[in-house]
Amino acid sequence: MWWKSLSVVLIVYTILAGLLPPLKPGITRVAPESAHSGQVIRLQAYGYNSKYTGSDAKDIRFWLEYDSLHALAAQELRVLSDTCLEAVFTLPVRMPGTGQNAYLNAIIDHPKDGVSLLPGALELVQGDSAERVGADWGIGLVQDLHIIKDFTFPYRNVIYESIRNTYFHVPMWFALMFLFVASVINSVRYLRNGELEYDRRAAAYAETGLLFGVLGLVTGMLWANYAWGKPWSNDIKQLMTAVALLVYFAYFILRASFDEPEKGARLAAVYNVFAFASLVPLLYIIPRMFASLHPGATGNPAFGSQDLDNTMRLVFYPAILGWSLLGFWIAGLRIRYQRLEDKVLQIEV
Amino acid sequence: MQFNRLMLLLHKEFLLEFRQRYALSGIVLYVLSMIFVVYIASIKVRPEVWNILFWLIVLFASINAVVKSFVQESGGRQLYYYQLTDPASLILAKILYNTLLLLVLSILAFGVYALVAGNPVKDLPLFTLVLGLGSLGFSIAFTFISAIAARANHSATLMAILSFPVILPILLTLMRLSAIALRLIQDTSYRKDIVNLLAIDAILVTLSFVLFPYIWKD
Repeated sequence: MWWKSLSVVLIVYTILAGLLPPLKPGITRVAPESAHSGQVIRLQAYGYNSKYTGSDAKDIRFWLEYDSLHALAAQELRVLSDTCLEAVFTLPVRMPGTGQNAYLNAIIDHPKDGVSLLPGALELVQGDSAERVGADWGIGLVQDLHIIKDFTFPYRNVIYESIRNTYFHVPMWFALMFLFVASVINSVRYLRNGELEYDRRAAAYAETGLLFGVLGLVTGMLWANYAWGKPWSNDIKQLMTAVALLVYFAYFILRASFDEPEKGARLAAVYNVFAFASLVPLLYIIPRMFASLHPGATGNPAFGSQDLDNTMRLVFYPAILGWSLLGFWIAGLRIRYQRLEDKVLQIEV
Repeated sequence: MQFNRLMLLLHKEFLLEFRQRYALSGIVLYVLSMIFVVYIASIKVRPEVWNILFWLIVLFASINAVVKSFVQESGGRQLYYYQLTDPASLILAKILYNTLLLLVLSILAFGVYALVAGNPVKDLPLFTLVLGLGSLGFSIAFTFISAIAARANHSATLMAILSFPVILPILLTLMRLSAIALRLIQDTSYRKDIVNLLAIDAILVTLSFVLFPYIWKD
């Protein structure tokens, strides 16, 4: 069937296009990490995937940004290596706003690499104004940035290369949801006309959904181990997902606990519909009420649109489709296997 | 579904409970024993723990109170109802009766628990409302699940594994609302949680109506 080939193509594409392209150049850290106002500092910025030697030092621009208006430009800029840049900054005596300290963003604009940003790179502490070196905040300096359009993924601090897990972890939940919806639809159809075929389908979709749920949890735990420091942090979404999987384990126990298959099938179908209705608050309402480590946690547990750039979309949407089709393929095999087994066991086909 | 029929079925539930007083006494004793066990196990109960333990007591008491609603009536009697009434009235009567039963139980549990372990509730009207909402939610979910579980052989185990995941959204919202009533967390927008809870109840009660006929017929 064409959609099975499509799922293979899409998954191969997901694996290749998700793992091979490099990340955009980024800044991992600057040294020193804090300074007093009114100082002259020599700042080194360490890059990731960057090619600073690729163009002249005079074409590279380096700013420390206070807010969208106030920034400082680097004075003497030297390229030490592909991944190291040194610049001198004269820090003004006063902060533009109130407050005793501020975190400045480091922004490097490179003609070939494009622009990269490290939020909160340098902590600026209000020093005693004994040494008064004159310098003022520049207004509206950060402009004419080089935006490079190529097939690279965004560089994000904390998650770095693990951003590629987006194409594996998130589609699992999409596939799970599609499969569970298919399972409920088949349960409803079974209740309406009582043909065992629909019960087989409902069970197979639920089984495959459960498989994707486990895979989603495992890929999530791998990611959490890297980004949050430990695989399980009792995040509300982790807990709710675990409970959602319990619902479907209960469904299989219920289905198996009857001597007459038809009675079990009917009650399991009823429970499937009932449990699915409770799955919606479990996955979509409750996580909104509690704090979560997941992106876009407060107010919106879904994937925020700002978390994806256009390159990621090119891999992410095919990945969802590919994994979901694979899920339906597995479920289809399961249905056919069950049909044969029932035929052998002389259960009504 | 007729109102008269509903009232008659409700009356039947009360009569049944009244004639089998040992069952009701059993549940009351269950609640009391549980409160004392909890109290003796953790003499000094902080408000946060009070909140959690209270809802666990109510949860277990509810599940034990509701599980019998279908188990106690034999297959023969179910067949008798089948000829007399319609499934919607039957499930509605059971849900209403169990709501009242659970409300009485949870108020009793609250009274005794407050007496023994102290009463940290700061906003009594809100807490009473939460008790009412809790009784309603528990009653809807447990009554329906007990109808499923009663059909199976190991109904007690099945009742627990089927209902705990389903009840969790209701339970978490209730605990959160009651934490607000205890002033453990500050939240002025708790009305939204109440609306969520009522929405979940509405979905579950609608599904109970639609799906109960399929459980009922044999």
